[in-house]
Amino acid sequence: MLQLLFDTLLRASDLALVALGLSTVYGLVKFPNIAHVQYAMLGAYATYAFFSMGLPLPVAILIACVLTGLLTLALHLLVFRRLLRSGPAITMIGSLAVAMLVVAFAQGFAGSFPRMFNLPITEPVIVGGVRLSHTQIAAMATTAVLLVLFTLLLFFTRTGRAMRALSTNPALAAASGLNAEGITRLVNFASGAIAGLGGSVLALSTGAHINLGHDLLLPVFAAAILGGLGNPLGAVLGALLIALTETLVTNLNFGPLLGKSIAFLPVSYISAGSFLVLLLALLFKPYGLFDREVRRV
Amino acid sequence: MFDFLIATFTVAGIYGLMALGLNLQAGVSGLLNFGHIAFAGMGAYGTAIAIQAGWHPVVGAACGMLAAMALGWCIARLGRQLAADYWGIATLAIAEILRTIATNEDWLTGGANGIAGIPSLFDGLGRPWSALAFLGVVLVAVAVFALLARRLANGRFGRALRLMREEPQLAVCMGYDLRQLKSHAIMAGAAVTALGGSLYAHYMSFAGPDYMIAAETFLLWTMLMIGGLGNTAGVLVGVVLVQAAYALVPFAKDHFHFSPDLAGALRLGLIGAILLACLLWRSQGLVPEKLRKIP
Amino acid sequence: MPRLTRRQLSTAAALALGLSALPALAQETINMGAVLSLTGANATVGEDVRRAVALAVDKVNADGGVLGKKFNVIVEDSGGNATTALNAARKLVSVDKVPVVIGEYSSGITLPMAQYLVKEGVAHINIASTSVKIRDLGASSFNLIGLEDKGNQFSSKDVWDLGYRNVAMIAPNNAYGQGVVHGFKQEFEKLGGKIIAEALYTAGQSTYRRELQQLSRSNPDAYIYTAYGQESAVINREAMELGLRAKPFYAILISMSLSDTAPEIAKGQLGMEVGNVYGDAGKAYAAAFAAKHKEGMKTSYTGYAYDAVLMTAAAMNKAKSTDTAAVQAALKEIGKGGYVGVTGPIVFDADRQRTDPPYAKLKFDGKVVPR
Repeated sequence: MLQLLFDTLLRASDLALVALGLSTVYGLVKFPNIAHVQYAMLGAYATYAFFSMGLPLPVAILIACVLTGLLTLALHLLVFRRLLRSGPAITMIGSLAVAMLVVAFAQGFAGSFPRMFNLPITEPVIVGGVRLSHTQIAAMATTAVLLVLFTLLLFFTRTGRAMRALSTNPALAAASGLNAEGITRLVNFASGAIAGLGGSVLALSTGAHINLGHDLLLPVFAAAILGGLGNPLGAVLGALLIALTETLVTNLNFGPLLGKSIAFLPVSYISAGSFLVLLLALLFKPYGLFDREVRRV
Repeated sequence: MFDFLIATFTVAGIYGLMALGLNLQAGVSGLLNFGHIAFAGMGAYGTAIAIQAGWHPVVGAACGMLAAMALGWCIARLGRQLAADYWGIATLAIAEILRTIATNEDWLTGGANGIAGIPSLFDGLGRPWSALAFLGVVLVAVAVFALLARRLANGRFGRALRLMREEPQLAVCMGYDLRQLKSHAIMAGAAVTALGGSLYAHYMSFAGPDYMIAAETFLLWTMLMIGGLGNTAGVLVGVVLVQAAYALVPFAKDHFHFSPDLAGALRLGLIGAILLACLLWRSQGLVPEKLRKIP
Repeated sequence: MPRLTRRQLSTAAALALGLSALPALAQETINMGAVLSLTGANATVGEDVRRAVALAVDKVNADGGVLGKKFNVIVEDSGGNATTALNAARKLVSVDKVPVVIGEYSSGITLPMAQYLVKEGVAHINIASTSVKIRDLGASSFNLIGLEDKGNQFSSKDVWDLGYRNVAMIAPNNAYGQGVVHGFKQEFEKLGGKIIAEALYTAGQSTYRRELQQLSRSNPDAYIYTAYGQESAVINREAMELGLRAKPFYAILISMSLSDTAPEIAKGQLGMEVGNVYGDAGKAYAAAFAAKHKEGMKTSYTGYAYDAVLMTAAAMNKAKSTDTAAVQAALKEIGKGGYVGVTGPIVFDADRQRTDPPYAKLKFDGKVVPR
């Protein structure tokens, strides 16, 4: 039981930060950014680069996140802002092109070899029968801390209020004197940095590899859409739901049903499971599970 | 070298068929289908499974096309008023689910191995006539469907689709059933693409789940965007350009002695850069759609 | 069509044609081809084999080249997928016009590629794939390595001899992995053992905990696994973190499975491997490899690639021609007996498969060593 809980939390923390970033920035720019998951990959590579240069891990991650945030901001200013004039569909395709370029860049510079972090191998911590490695505990802790900070920012600061106002009703928000452009830039930077953090933390376990972004694409979008694009905390809950689905699907023993002692669903169907959840969400609640807006039919 | 050129043109032709199918959905009807490659995959697997069961290649191709059309119908019915970009993500998810099923169900699809040993259509003719004959078939198919697409796009159906793309509410007012239009557009596109997939399976003698990777759909989208959405001629221009870029990279690699990682990166980066450039500076594509001006 | 488009079309076509005529330089070297997995999940193996190939080319040229001319192997990347491998093979056959192509590594890639080569009548030498379907590829395909059936017989007997009776298996979900699980199960059950749990993992996941957890629920005597280097590193690390290493871990093709795993984690694992180097020739080869590349060989496939290249050069010299049919006939002649490569004596049976391919029982103790 405890194992299931930890597995869910672990998987959710893989997805939560990136999904959070995606959802937050969607609220302002209103197009699904396919390149967003590639920022996570870049963050991972940057952290690896700085770490192997000898910087201590937290410093490496910090610098990597800042750089990723700056790149996100630059891409927004140079590319996406222009494309948005032609509509969200064109911008989405543009983000596709940017994603391809980012992966090509990474492959050209870093090679297709995964870069494993040279972390000291430690004995796992045993909590109530469940074994957790130090890396995993660090990952979950980082995610939790960041989520708390982000929630505080969103609900208890002026900037957070401005962000929420802008994503709900941009025209009115701008009319009431909010610095729309400034907030958008800040949010872009922050979402890129958070994605970079998510990618770096993920890479501590799996290494930095060029498919890191692409493997995250559908689960992260599923989580963000489940929570409602534009609802950052909803995205986190969406990530939890996706993680729960995946964990349950592979840990349920169908053996008794089939007359065998042990029978599990092949793990490869996990992704199919979460995509199915996504499809159902899109069919029945495309604006997210927590949607309360009244829309004209 | 001659063989290589034939090979390049054959593959270009096959991609042309798939791109024509996508153009009908994305270009003319404005439907953001990001899972388009699933139709090609159904065509390829339909052919492979039918051939394994001992049926004639034409039956195989027909099976693939029917399966793709069925899938198309299902996709069209997906979600009543799903916004375009959400619908795109849904199609991407569907394609990935199908790919997962193809990778795992080895009783049906040979699993991750795929199905090998599919006869190429003109093996009996010997080299180089078999390759030339195949190229001939592909080129004829492309020509036929390009002309068909053009007639469709310029005719009543095409006009209705464009209206649905630009002013859906007006289309409803004028009495068009949007759902049916969507279904027909997607099914037609699916059929052509499945034919392309079927030919590809014959050409490679092999059908595997790698055919349905999302990157392949993005490649088709690039061909469309570069050439010009909605315009049949533009689609073909886009296909030729992207194929040329793809085919040049191995030669550049040999000439400039790139590492294989760099060559792979170059291919991907070239396509991405061209796509981005087109979007930023000429978003209608190199050959923009010509809308009929009412005098 | 509007005139503008036709011009654009023909310009694009002319450009493509013109630029693709680039490599029309005069050839003073004799070429053969190799398709290796230089990028992708098996890049470690691909690079290792490429080094062996380069070493072999140097040896051939040091011994006087082929037919008095310089000898070269054109190496193409398979990208780790069948489509790129097929395109690479197509380029080697139609542009570079090589008589022999060796490769690839993963059975799911070698099979379609070799089928294409056989269709074109070009000789193919398999140096690393072990699917039993390799045997039926066709008249111009040769095989230097032990196929799964022999490999599975060896490994299942080894596991049985080690005392394990109920085992859990994990392998990649592709031609190779599916073949290993299937074949090992057959052979092991013949001996009286049982596979109580099996998992076929999909490559490229960020974690394999779920598969490992499913396996651990069955409480086996030992875990039998085989995995490609980079994924194996994650699997091994997570197995250690989950505490699964309390039970023995047996690796089929141990040096491939441990090629990217940290030594502290790999310590104590048992396994088997295709035979690597044999006799004096083998020792000399290993020494030359270690001298040129400080770290020595990472996988056991290098010897097979080395032998393939040297055999091809010898066949070309024997046939006094680079025509593929003549080279194939010469290869068959050489394979009748008496040729000893760095992997041992190479004798082909009637289907051009290697008789008595070598295998080794190994364990990991700082590095892969014999038991």
